[in-house]
Amino acid sequence: MNTTTHLRQAGRVADVALERRSFLGLVAAGAAVVGVPALLTGCGSSSDQGGAAAGVPVEDAIPTYIPTDYVDPDFPSVNGSTPGFSRLPDTLVTSVPTPPGSGAVFTAMTPLWGTIPQAKGNQYYAAVNEMLGSTIEFQIADGNTYGDKLATVLASSKDVPDWVCVPNWNLPPRFATEIVGNVFQDLTPYLAGDKVKAYPNLANIPSDVWKFCVFNGRLYGLPMPGEILTDATFYRQDVLDQLGITPDVANGDDLLALALELTDAGSGRWGAEDLWTTAAIIHGVPPKWRLDDDGSLVHRVETDEYRAALAWNARLFASGAVHPDAVAAQDGDAKQRFQSGRSLIMADGLGSWNEALRDNLGANPAFWQQPFAPFAADGGTPVLYKGNPANISSFLKKTDDEDKVKELLALANALAGPFGTAEFDLVNYGVEGVHYTKDAEGLPVPTELAASEVQPTYVFLLSGPVVNAKVQYPGYVEASSAWQADAAQYLTDPLFFGQQISEPQQYASIGQPFQDLEKDISRGRKSLDALDEAVQTWKSAGGDELRAFYQDILDNA
Amino acid sequence: MTVPLLHRRRAKPAPERPDGVAAPSGPPPRRLSRRAQIARDRSLLLMVLPAVVLLAVFAYVPMLGNIMAWSSYSPYQGFFSSPWVGWENFERVFSNPLFLNAVGNTLAITAFQLVFFFPVPIFLALLLNSVMSPRVRTTIQSIVYLPHFFSWVLVVTLFQQMFGGAGLLNQTLRQHGYAGFDLMTNPDTFLVLLTMQSVWKDAGWGIIIFLAALSTVSPELYEAAAVDGANRWRRMWHITLPALRPVVILLLILRLGDSLTVGFEQLILQRGAVGVGVSEVIDTYVYYQGVVYGDWSFAAAAGLVKGVVSLALVLGANKLAHVFGESGVYKRA
Repeated sequence: MNTTTHLRQAGRVADVALERRSFLGLVAAGAAVVGVPALLTGCGSSSDQGGAAAGVPVEDAIPTYIPTDYVDPDFPSVNGSTPGFSRLPDTLVTSVPTPPGSGAVFTAMTPLWGTIPQAKGNQYYAAVNEMLGSTIEFQIADGNTYGDKLATVLASSKDVPDWVCVPNWNLPPRFATEIVGNVFQDLTPYLAGDKVKAYPNLANIPSDVWKFCVFNGRLYGLPMPGEILTDATFYRQDVLDQLGITPDVANGDDLLALALELTDAGSGRWGAEDLWTTAAIIHGVPPKWRLDDDGSLVHRVETDEYRAALAWNARLFASGAVHPDAVAAQDGDAKQRFQSGRSLIMADGLGSWNEALRDNLGANPAFWQQPFAPFAADGGTPVLYKGNPANISSFLKKTDDEDKVKELLALANALAGPFGTAEFDLVNYGVEGVHYTKDAEGLPVPTELAASEVQPTYVFLLSGPVVNAKVQYPGYVEASSAWQADAAQYLTDPLFFGQQISEPQQYASIGQPFQDLEKDISRGRKSLDALDEAVQTWKSAGGDELRAFYQDILDNA
Repeated sequence: MTVPLLHRRRAKPAPERPDGVAAPSGPPPRRLSRRAQIARDRSLLLMVLPAVVLLAVFAYVPMLGNIMAWSSYSPYQGFFSSPWVGWENFERVFSNPLFLNAVGNTLAITAFQLVFFFPVPIFLALLLNSVMSPRVRTTIQSIVYLPHFFSWVLVVTLFQQMFGGAGLLNQTLRQHGYAGFDLMTNPDTFLVLLTMQSVWKDAGWGIIIFLAALSTVSPELYEAAAVDGANRWRRMWHITLPALRPVVILLLILRLGDSLTVGFEQLILQRGAVGVGVSEVIDTYVYYQGVVYGDWSFAAAAGLVKGVVSLALVLGANKLAHVFGESGVYKRA
């Protein structure tokens, strides 16, 4: 699926996290670099402004931050970009010396944007479970429809697995008001403040990330930290090289022209996928709200940027450069089309970059996708909005059994081992000799088995601080770090950045028409006039009340 | 398929049936005690039991949940702790333009398919029935049944691969210098596309019932008619079609009852391709409102409206069938 794109459509737009079509594909595997798209704004839905409700300061609920650095990055963070490591350390630190588990079996539900691995005889699962000392049995569901499944599972609290991954853009309606307190375990008594010292790898996760796991003043979530830069527009550099085309894209018109130039329908090659995500980025459409100069809140769908992005995307579709299957909204196959060269430009999460290398280098060693350097539609200075501190978190099923909670947290502590630890190595690369072998330079070379078994599973439960250590793909860490260091200079905080805000239930569906409208206007089925009408409907259906709700949060901040 | 059996039993009521159902020429009905009835029908009752249990557990019991339509339901508060709001949800349903759009689409799709999909299996059955060689006939039958067992995902994908902008047909056209055409993403022709897909997938399956009905027609009738000089068309008009009529009416009534239920999966899969303007139907609307956005009560109210209208359609059509002397789906005892 075209992940990100979707995500964006969903998360960004709407006032809720909607997600029927969700997104992500990409989450990169691994704690390291996960490409979860950004701009998914806080999707909560339900009331009481998440984070700090009822006058409880968020700071009291989160763990103390006690950083531990095992290795210095080769490409240090620039303005918050993800630090990169171009090689593995010679010796790994074992951060959790003895397996913390009791031999119990726990169930866990996670999404996956890929082929679900066989559980039977899975050497990766076996090795990680051995490290944990307990067994985690995964119930993996298709990531593209994960939100739908989640909404159903969470409606029946007794059927909830022990450990549930909840992507932010999939937060179901009523999550903060009703679900989290009724279904999931309050972790505040176990982790807040210095109590986290019992779990050093959890204490190593930055405070901003933890804040995003707080609902109604209590800590519920275990985070998978996100990258500050989340999405990019990729092109197939290897194919463009073959065609003898060197892209020089400095504004929106350049990109439209390039997409059209690359299109050769007769030979089954089209320039682009649906570039709605790109449209939103290059026009600087705010993730959700923006504060105007006169101090009033403006929703993204009311902004000129949003309108301009729609107009641009409609021009793209009208030019005929979009692959017909993408026009038919067959988004699930977008990656496949892009990776097989049937479409050459695609917006996706940054994490999709290394996933694409993982999936394609074997059959096509020349495969390379490269993101365009950030640009603005009008050729000016681009505006990039920061991604959430965590895009995916997990929750433990509510229980009276304190020992069970402590055991699960101990397992979480082991899984959260940062780069440089044996735990990180195992969870991200698998077992040496089985899932990878080391080449002359000590870099891991994945085996075929790795592609089927080492899928992102444990990492979706939680991970240590985000790093880019995908050293197994030649040139990747360097290229990615360079792109990020450049892009990070354009980053800006979206309004309400890093706050877990849950909107009242009654506004859950008022954003839906915009998702449909984005598809309709892009494909020329409706004109931009329909947008004015939709905005009017949105206002009267609760949009203005929603604005007041956010104004309140702003005033009380 | 039980339908033809049902029909046959109705059409030729056993005169010895003692409960008096449609046995006009039989002996006067003799009332049996309830216990004697049960004893007599024991094996039949046993056979129907599993179906009744399934129906009760999966249809009737869940129906009680419809009370949420009058409350502001939350799964975490339960049915009785959720606040009651009277008819508010229904008012919201009827004042919502998106719901009305969904109703309009549902009716358009139903009406179109009633005209262009419903008769197809009848024609197919008549055609097949005229094929004399049993081998050719079973081969054709198997081929046309097959798509029924494909999931909608597969059907839609196949159509996209064949007729999509990058599909086989369009690519072939382009390679020969013709312009491609746009079938899969054109909202104006979506009704035609939907119906094509339905015909391809299910028309073959639909002929089973009609073939069964045709097989009950005695060959002697045809022979007698042929002796009297009736040609093929007259035989079809005077023998075959009258034999099919009760089944056609029965299926038509059942179809009307279903008419507000149009291809949920089929539509949800093509929603993005043509837009909600033409693809949102009551079922998909209820799904998004209820499951996806958690507005359970609103969705229940919308679903209930649909259920009531469907029931009225079945009752009305059945009544109409009686007026025209057909037995319809059921008769009052």
